[in-house]
Order: sequence, then C-alpha cells, then structure tokens
Amino acid sequence: MSAVALPGVAPVRARGESLWRKASRKFARDRLGMVALGVVLIYFLAAVGVWLGWWAMGWPDLSGTKWEPVSGTHWFGTNIIGQDIFDRAIYSTATAFEVGLIVALAATGIGAVLGAFAGFFAGSWIDEVLVWLMGVLDAIPFYLFVAAVAYALTDNPWAMHLAMISTFWVGTGRLIRGEVIKLRGMEYVEAAHSIGVPEVVIIFRHILPNTSHILLVQASVMFVGAIKAEVILSFLGLGIKDGMSWGLMIDESTKEVLAGFYNNFLAASLLMFGLVMAFNAVADALQDALDPRKVG
Amino acid sequence: MEILQYALRKLIGGLPLIIGVTLVSFALMVYFGPDQTYLLLGKNPTPEQILEVRQQLGYDQPFLQRYLGFLREIVTLDFGTASTGERVTELLAKTIPVSLILILPGFILGHVVGLLLALAAAYWRGRWLDKLIMAVAVTGMSVSFLIVIIGFQIVLSSSDGLDLFPVRGWNASSLASYLSYVTVPTLATMFVALGYETRFYRSIIVEEMSRDHVRTARAFGLPESRIFFRNILKNCLIPIITRIMFSIPQVAIGGALLIESYFGIPGIGKATYEAIITGDQPVLKAVVSLTAILFVLVVVLTDILYRAVDPRVTLK
Repeated sequence: MSAVALPGVAPVRARGESLWRKASRKFARDRLGMVALGVVLIYFLAAVGVWLGWWAMGWPDLSGTKWEPVSGTHWFGTNIIGQDIFDRAIYSTATAFEVGLIVALAATGIGAVLGAFAGFFAGSWIDEVLVWLMGVLDAIPFYLFVAAVAYALTDNPWAMHLAMISTFWVGTGRLIRGEVIKLRGMEYVEAAHSIGVPEVVIIFRHILPNTSHILLVQASVMFVGAIKAEVILSFLGLGIKDGMSWGLMIDESTKEVLAGFYNNFLAASLLMFGLVMAFNAVADALQDALDPRKVG
Repeated sequence: MEILQYALRKLIGGLPLIIGVTLVSFALMVYFGPDQTYLLLGKNPTPEQILEVRQQLGYDQPFLQRYLGFLREIVTLDFGTASTGERVTELLAKTIPVSLILILPGFILGHVVGLLLALAAAYWRGRWLDKLIMAVAVTGMSVSFLIVIIGFQIVLSSSDGLDLFPVRGWNASSLASYLSYVTVPTLATMFVALGYETRFYRSIIVEEMSRDHVRTARAFGLPESRIFFRNILKNCLIPIITRIMFSIPQVAIGGALLIESYFGIPGIGKATYEAIITGDQPVLKAVVSLTAILFVLVVVLTDILYRAVDPRVTLK
C-alpha cells in the first residue's frame, strides 16, 4: 500500500512501519541521546586513529622529565618516569574500545544463542542444563572467577576478555530465554512448525531476529560493563598485559596522588568517565526508542 | 513446620548448584591454578623432596579423586592449613568479621538512601527533583569504583584535601578508631551503589504506579499518601527483596576484594586476593565453597521472605 502524497500535506506514514524505522526516528528526536552518540563517535575516531597509527604512537617513549606540568609539548604533562600522559590516555581509548567491543559482541552472541536454545526447549533437559550453567556462573564471585581464569591461562593476554565473556553472557542469556519462551508460543512459529521448517531454522531465522532490540541494548550495557571491569582488573594486576589502558594509568597514579601529582589520575578517570557516561546515555536512549510501549 | 520442610527441600534442590560451582572453581583455581610445589620448597630441592611435596599437596592424584577429597572437606568443614601455616578455619574466623563490619554500613546505607531517593524521584515524577536525582544517579553510575575510592581518599584523607581520616589500614580496637577507618570505604561503597540502586528502585516504583489497581484506587478517591504506601510500595516489596538478597553474595566477596586490597584491610577479600595470587589452594577452596553455600542459602531465604510479604505466594 502506498501513501498518497497531496501537495502541501505531509504524507501519511505507511502503516507497516518497522520497529527499527520507528526506533531510529524516535532516537533522532532524543536530543540527549544524539549528543551522547556524537561524543561516543569522537572517542571512536580517536581509537581509529590509534589503530591506524596516526597518533599517540609515542606513548611508551620517555619524552620528558618526571612530573612535567601541562605544556604545549605535553598537553596533560608527564608521569612519574617522564612519559607523555596525553598520548597514553589517547592510546588507552583504543584499548577501551577493543575490550568493550570484543567482550560486548562475543557475550551478546553467546547469550543470544544459548538463551534462545534454553527458551525454545524450555522444560527439556537442554533448558535445565543451560539454566544450571547460568546459576553456577552467577554464584561464583566475579573477581574470583576472572582471577582464576587469568591464572589458569598463565599470563595469556586474552584471559581477561575470556573471563568477562564467559560471565557477562549470563544476563543476556536469561533475558533472551524469557523472551523466546514468549515468542515460541506465537502463531507464526506454530505455522512454521506446521509446514515443517526445521527447529534450528525456526530459532535462528524466525525467533532470534525478533529479539534483536534486546540484544542491541544488552550489547551497549556490556560494552560499558567491560570498560569499567577492565579498570579494576588492571589495577588488581589481572587485566591488560601488553599495552596501556586507563586502568593501568590509574594504577600508576595511585603512587602519584599521595605525593600530590594528579595529572595521570585525572586524565585517565575523566576520559573514562566521559566515554562511560556518553555510552550510558546512548544505551538509555536506545532502550527508550526500542520500547514499543512508549509511543513516539 | 511447613516452612522448615520447604527450606530443607530447597536446600537439597540447591545441591546441583553447589556441585557445579565447586567443580568449575576447582578445575579453574586448583587443577589449572598455579603450582605451589616450588613455593613450599627451599633452594635446590632434590627430586625426592619435590616428589614428597607434590604428594603432600595431592598433585599426584587423578582429578576426580582430588575433587572428591575437596567435597569431603566441605562436608566436614575442615579445609586444612593455609600456606602461611595457619588453619583455614581460623583464618576465616579472623577475617570474616572484619569484612562484615567493613562492608555492612556501606551496603545498608546504599540501599536505604537509594530507596529514599527513588521514592522521592518517583513521587515527584517528571518534576525538577526527579530529573536532578536521576541525572546524579546516571553520573554516579558512570564513575568507576576505583576512581571513587581514590577520589574520596584524596579529598578526605590526603594532606591536599581535608586530611580527616587515615589514608589506609585498619584498627577496630575502639569505636572511635573503627569509625575513623571505616568512613572512607563506607562512603565509597555507598556512592557507587547509589546510582544503580536509585535507578532500579525508581523504575520498579514507577512501573507499579501505572498499574490498573492504582488507577482504580485513585478513582475511588483514596488519599494519595495511602495509595502510595499501601497500594504501590507494598507491591514493590518483592523486587526490592530480590535485589537486596541477591546482592549479598556478590558484595560479601566482590566488593570487599577491591576495597580491602586497596586500603590494606585484613578481611576475607584481601585474604582471597592473596590466595589467588599465590595459589593458596586450601583458602581458595574454603572461600569458593562458602560463597556457593551462601548463594543457595540466599535463594532459600528469599523464597521464604516472599511468602512473608505476599500471602499469594505458596511454598510448594
């Protein structure tokens, strides 16, 4: 059906507007959400520049003397051994995106697939095993688990990512399981059953795409969670092994703040705060835009 | 009697969870964990000495046998001796009280203040107070726990700040010194919890406010305050209880670990952290199994609490 456009009259919205169309329209009108998205994009550009080797490549160099103040050559000053804090902070932005993106994508994927299987086969042994697994992972304290994985993998640089992925998916898994239990009783799934569509195809082609609004919000929540966890884990000596991160910078700075030098601490924590805050706002705006109960 | 029977049945139902948790953590922390042989030996050990220590630690036994031995330790609550030579049960008895009095004030304040702020925000929903509280909550959520700790330490304890409290350490021999050491960690824990708790509590209160029965009560002309406390808050109790109860096991170890290792407080969190790093198996085993048991207890207790606040819930 096509809408008839009369001159001087705004065209009537087509009736079958998709969830995504509607959501992006709602999102575009959310001023705070758009500003936050802009901030996240700026951070992302900073990270892309690091990946391409355009800037912040001098982060490990001893380019100055101990604790230089803010100046034209050292925008945020230098740290205890004379490295440029600005370079280190920008380089760490790329690290934050790496951790956030890897953990968020992998954990969302695992949560989606396992949650969907649990929900689709709810009541069978598959569901029971998966729910048991989620309960087990929930019952192990997070830091203990990460530390254990880190030591079991003996200094593997991916230990932290792996530990986060294997615990973070549980929340998404539970949400998707609940949603799939709702969806599998719907008529279109029954119709697919009756014409003989294989169960795996039903799950992946017909059910999972209908949970993508939950997955998108979950991924953004986990992105923030991973960045925050990285800071604490790196401080505890269980996080980033090679390279630089905001957590390592804050760890360095704990020796400096008690001596009255705050540049390192402020640079890392303010940059991190900005990204996390902006991403939280984006996640909120996404949630509002994708919630069909809120009319827009 | 009915409750007791129910609790017992639930506890037995929690056994697979305990087995799962202990199995996963045993595999990760003990079986693949750091090898302690050379930590316990002196310099230049002979092959016989190495063999002897490995035998003592049980490294020469197969996985299943070692795991079953671990289960036996849990049942008898006897975890042997830590690498420091101390009995693990004594170590736990010494460190757990420290962690409890360290964490409890911040935990309680975080939930109480968060609930109060959420009530205010929900009651004046859409007004400036609501917007202010929620903006502060989102800001609070965005600050890392570690940054909050360091920030409070700079402001309250350093010579550049107010210099009111000790920088780090622990001494609870008198009430005055306990208060001076516990204040900064408590403020940090509370601050971090506030953002999350306020948002969570506000969202469930607001959801309850838009229910049909609330509209009906309003249509009948009941006073607004009565609707708020009798019809709305009472119905929010179940998610509130769930939230508080399920954060207990996480806070008991997770929260204490960072705070205690940062401030150098001799609680269970610091003991756990040190055990992880040195691979002190007896301590790790004890901590993991205690957490798993605590988790199951929390699940059972939560169900019983549901029943206490909502007569529609049946224990079956």
